[in-house]
Amino acid sequence: MLKPRWRKVLRDVWHHKARTLLVVLAIAIGIVGAGAVLNTWSLLRRVTRDGYLATNPVSATLRTDSVDAALLTRVRALPGIEAAEARRTVIGSAFSNGAWRTAVLFASGDFAGSQIGKVVSESGTWPPADSSLVIERSSLEFSGLIVGDAASVRVGNAPEVALTVEGIARDAGLAPGWMEHVVYSFVTPSTLARLGAPATLNQLRITVADRSLDREAVRRIAYAVKALVESSGRSVVDLEVPEPGEHIHASQMDSLLMTQGAFGVLALLLSGFLVINLIAAMLAGQVREIGVMKALGARAGQLAAMYLGVAFVLGLVACLIALPLAALLGRWYAGFSASLLNFDITGFPIPLWSLGVQLAVGALLPVAAAAVPVTRGCRISVSTALRDFGIDGGDGSDSGGVLSRVSGLTRPLLLSLRNAFRRRQRMALTLLTLALGGAVYLGALNLRASIRNSVGYLFEEMLRYDMSLQFSAPHDPDSLEAAARAVSGVERAEAWGGKRAAVARPDGLLGNAFPIGGIPVASKMVGFPLDSGRWFAPGMANELVVNRSLLDAESAMTLGGTVTVIIGGKPTEWTVVGVVASMPSPTAFASRESLGRIGGDFRVGQLVVTSTLPGAGSQSELIRRLRQDLAAAGYDVSSGQLVAESRRVLEDHLLMVAGFLLVMSQAMIVVGGLGLASTMSLSVLERTREIGVMRAIGARHWAILTIVQVEGLVIAIASWALAIPLSIPMSVILGNAFGRIMIPVKVLTLFPEPMAILIWLGVVVAVSLLACAWPGYRATRVTTAAALAYE
Amino acid sequence: MNQSPALIELQHVTRTFPGAGGGFTALADVSLAINRGEFAVVVGQSGSGKSTLLGLLAGIDRPTSGEVRVGDTAVHALSERAMSAWRGKAVGIVFQFFQLLPTLTAVENVMLPMDFCSTWPPAERRARALALLERLGVADQANKFPPKLSGGQQQRVAIARALANEPAVLLADEPTGNLDSKTAGAILELFAELVRGGQTVVMVTHESSAVQLASRTITLVDGRIVAEKGGSRA
Repeated sequence: MLKPRWRKVLRDVWHHKARTLLVVLAIAIGIVGAGAVLNTWSLLRRVTRDGYLATNPVSATLRTDSVDAALLTRVRALPGIEAAEARRTVIGSAFSNGAWRTAVLFASGDFAGSQIGKVVSESGTWPPADSSLVIERSSLEFSGLIVGDAASVRVGNAPEVALTVEGIARDAGLAPGWMEHVVYSFVTPSTLARLGAPATLNQLRITVADRSLDREAVRRIAYAVKALVESSGRSVVDLEVPEPGEHIHASQMDSLLMTQGAFGVLALLLSGFLVINLIAAMLAGQVREIGVMKALGARAGQLAAMYLGVAFVLGLVACLIALPLAALLGRWYAGFSASLLNFDITGFPIPLWSLGVQLAVGALLPVAAAAVPVTRGCRISVSTALRDFGIDGGDGSDSGGVLSRVSGLTRPLLLSLRNAFRRRQRMALTLLTLALGGAVYLGALNLRASIRNSVGYLFEEMLRYDMSLQFSAPHDPDSLEAAARAVSGVERAEAWGGKRAAVARPDGLLGNAFPIGGIPVASKMVGFPLDSGRWFAPGMANELVVNRSLLDAESAMTLGGTVTVIIGGKPTEWTVVGVVASMPSPTAFASRESLGRIGGDFRVGQLVVTSTLPGAGSQSELIRRLRQDLAAAGYDVSSGQLVAESRRVLEDHLLMVAGFLLVMSQAMIVVGGLGLASTMSLSVLERTREIGVMRAIGARHWAILTIVQVEGLVIAIASWALAIPLSIPMSVILGNAFGRIMIPVKVLTLFPEPMAILIWLGVVVAVSLLACAWPGYRATRVTTAAALAYE
Repeated sequence: MNQSPALIELQHVTRTFPGAGGGFTALADVSLAINRGEFAVVVGQSGSGKSTLLGLLAGIDRPTSGEVRVGDTAVHALSERAMSAWRGKAVGIVFQFFQLLPTLTAVENVMLPMDFCSTWPPAERRARALALLERLGVADQANKFPPKLSGGQQQRVAIARALANEPAVLLADEPTGNLDSKTAGAILELFAELVRGGQTVVMVTHESSAVQLASRTITLVDGRIVAEKGGSRA
């Protein structure tokens, strides 16, 4: 049989249903917020690590003339090699969604038996049959193709060929197609031949037997392979060794998850603050009963156990509600984040430890939060408890003196202001809860604005052109530019070159291959912001501008220093004159002329164009005419791309990430609002007698209601003001975290935009009015007689 | 071991409450002894120190100086924890406003002290609580919640609760202060009956009829005992 004290606990909980519901809701919101993030984090971590390692990622890739079965056999026999396979990658273009897009075609003679960087079929046929292609899923949205479509594909000057899309597959080792603006697809060598491309496989992909080796140890093994390949009379164009076991976007993912993890912890903390307030409210209404129970022989420990027990049970109930919601939300967001990074969470359960942590935190957080008010409440002496009238001057020093000197304050307003500062500790907790929610909200709004600004900056300032066209064969830049300018609607045209290169390291090994863009010295089409140094100057040979990512990857590169770079197999000396922050993957830029001098080939393969025509529709039409006119003039356009479209895709995806943070911040504001509601309920409860006195001396309903509402507004406005400076570090943190993801999102305005501040003011006022509505109503229901008899 | 025949003994007890101007002395050098089985009534004006005296006897307050003994226990020297345990077993308190816990039924209110102090086996507590309610004439109200009971019924339940752990002393603070005169008379008669059964009762009251039923009357003025009728002064 349940002991009377536990019956009392249960009945009290039931008797104060609204407050109980508020406590459960507060804990549940905190757990849902933090739990969803934890679930996302744990699931993504597992999926990206396990999922990536499950593909048996490539240890090194060598590009050579050709790879045949005999060479593969010899490579596999080398010490330290686990597997070796051959592949070819061909750049072409595919017509979809009304435009020609860059297509990267991966060809292998044995996709089915491939053990390196395993590609998994998602739907349709796998491996690809001759004269068909299988699309990589991250390119689906971008390409607009679906299974069964006939995609027109062309490589170089060869006529376009209609290939049937027969399946969709996933290659977790690829950077997502939507992000790269590329249609990835898988074909057979004979399909390549049909497209007019060389069908010989020229990439040698290896895995090392010892997976614990670091990148440099793998590079030495790859060098042994390179030596073997070269001994067979073949040349090795470049060699690439990725960080072993680490996905191409691992650091970005960590950064994203850490930021979100911090948000989760914050949500939980805010929820904890709210629970402290609510438990304090509960105890405030129980002071006299605590005194009576103590008078009947109850020890402080017994009473504390009762109230902490309530907190524990409420935590468990909140967990029952929150855990499934957090799992749903976490799974949905993990799925979304995983798809951004080209992973799939299907088949991966949320780790049990994550659910265990949520259950433990959910049950214990209220106990921890309640510990201080419960200890304080249960230590109260019997005489003090029995004397409790719920009316006193509060725990702060009197601020009335200062307030009294402020002219123009009416008595009720003065009372509201004094009431707000009466319980300073509680007020500070409420204010902080609401202000932190607001700071995250402003930070998320700022991030959203910054993303828009940064994407705008990327596409308007850094890349100052409307469209780009790739050619399957190199051409003379001057004649190409002239031919393009002859097309109606073209404002300006610039021909850009490009070569692949690798740094010759002091230890004799080659660094990973990276692209060097050859841009005219006087280019008006780019405006990369320089982190340090300068852009390459006219008349100066072999000057290189590198991005931060390349500088970090190659220790031989220093600003102002010279570095040996292998281009087309030839070592050349370059001076690093500038560092730009652009692009996450290693990239360098040089003048078109300097790059052309290497090997004496000044021809280029890319054309960037600005248009006089406004709007995406007319610009799409311009691309079509450019292709047509340039083809007629003998220039084979392999693909063309509208910058506006790339911008839209990038912006959409980034804004979805910012949107998640915005939703989380709104949840935090709800927690803050619940906190304010609980504080005001407590305030009304404690001042029942005072309210009765006011009514006895003539205060009407509206006067009582106004006093409560204004008191809430004082706290809300203070939170509004506090959130503004708090949002600045929040913006910096978010901006830095997102800067490592996809594009450098500069926090252009550290201070929130005026409109964001106004929105936040509107939100906080609305939250305050709502939060104080019920306590205000309760205050007006207090009758004079009942209030003065209030025990 | 205390050889004194008195159940309650106060020796030079002073209780001063801190405040502006040196504080307020509610009790000044009070010495008093109450024997087992006595019905002692403490009377006096408001602010005379009656309730302070009762608080000291109940162990819900401590003297600024002096000693309070109940039975063999030096109440003034007990720790807060020991005080709670002692209070639950040694004294039963009846309040002016009944102070029944509103979310417990009458019988559960009576069981509560037994629960806190583990004085009776759990299986016997309900039967004992019902027996006490029967003794006080409110057994038929056992399963009702306090707000459903009349003032007199609530006070009877409160007395039953005070008796739950068979305390040596029953302390009552204005137990009839919130009742009509007829009910008040019945409650006072109830106390007298308990005393006749051997229970020691100390009651603070304004009721003149209580004085007639008491074996001992102690009159306080400004924190000092100014008159005693019956019994013996320590």
